[in-house]
Amino acid sequence: MAQAPAAGDPFEALGDANRREILRLLSGGDKPVREIADAMTISRPAVSRHLRLLKDAGMVTEEARGTRRIYHLQEQGLHAVQAYLEGIWGDAAARFRLLAENTDQEPDR
Amino acid sequence: MTAPLQMSFDVACSAEHAFGVWTERIGTWWPSDHTATGQAELVVLQSGIGGRIYERTSDGVEHDWGEVTVWEPPTRLVYLWHLRRDRADATEVEIRFVALDSTATRIEIEHRGWERLGNAAGEWRDRNRAGWQTLLPHYLAAIEKLAATNGKEGSR
Repeated sequence: MAQAPAAGDPFEALGDANRREILRLLSGGDKPVREIADAMTISRPAVSRHLRLLKDAGMVTEEARGTRRIYHLQEQGLHAVQAYLEGIWGDAAARFRLLAENTDQEPDR
Repeated sequence: MTAPLQMSFDVACSAEHAFGVWTERIGTWWPSDHTATGQAELVVLQSGIGGRIYERTSDGVEHDWGEVTVWEPPTRLVYLWHLRRDRADATEVEIRFVALDSTATRIEIEHRGWERLGNAAGEWRDRNRAGWQTLLPHYLAAIEKLAATNGKEGSR
């Protein structure tokens, strides 16, 4: 087994606008806590609490680089959400996935 | 006839929650090594009669190991089960979620149909009994974890 199951609930992790904003920021690249906090309106301790919850849910991981902790997106929490979508929407969700994986991005015009 | 495997235990949540964690939330707790490949990225139980039970690996290959035959949320669920066997060898799992009150549910599991496996029935039943014993703690942990956060404010 590659990873232990996440301790937290990925659905709760997604149910908060600040945490979705953190995920959006991380989708643009790995970031230390300070850089995430600078881009948001909530306090740094609040950002740290949200990051801990996202980490428990398997949606982000951290690694130490020197004295800094760098956060990045992790797929584990995403898989639980994807399994939920496929369980409810069935093949429609699977078709969407295949379409998304096989569609080349249109060049900007 | 080889006797069914029967298990029963109580959980401290509603039948709706117990049923939902077993079905739509299965991907949050089913162990990735309790699968055909032993390294599933995703485990899905599709809702409704005819719903597929399958895993998908990181390279996108899907393995089916079950099919829902009775779908009566939140009280009863039956599915065919052929993890690590051919579909022709499918046994049958029935799970009843008996509401004791709004925060307590008795879960009764019956795993039957071993006689379809002929001479292999006894050995396969024993292996499945061990499988259930390793599986159920994951479900119980998920019930508690997901219930603990239900209805609570997402952030402070």
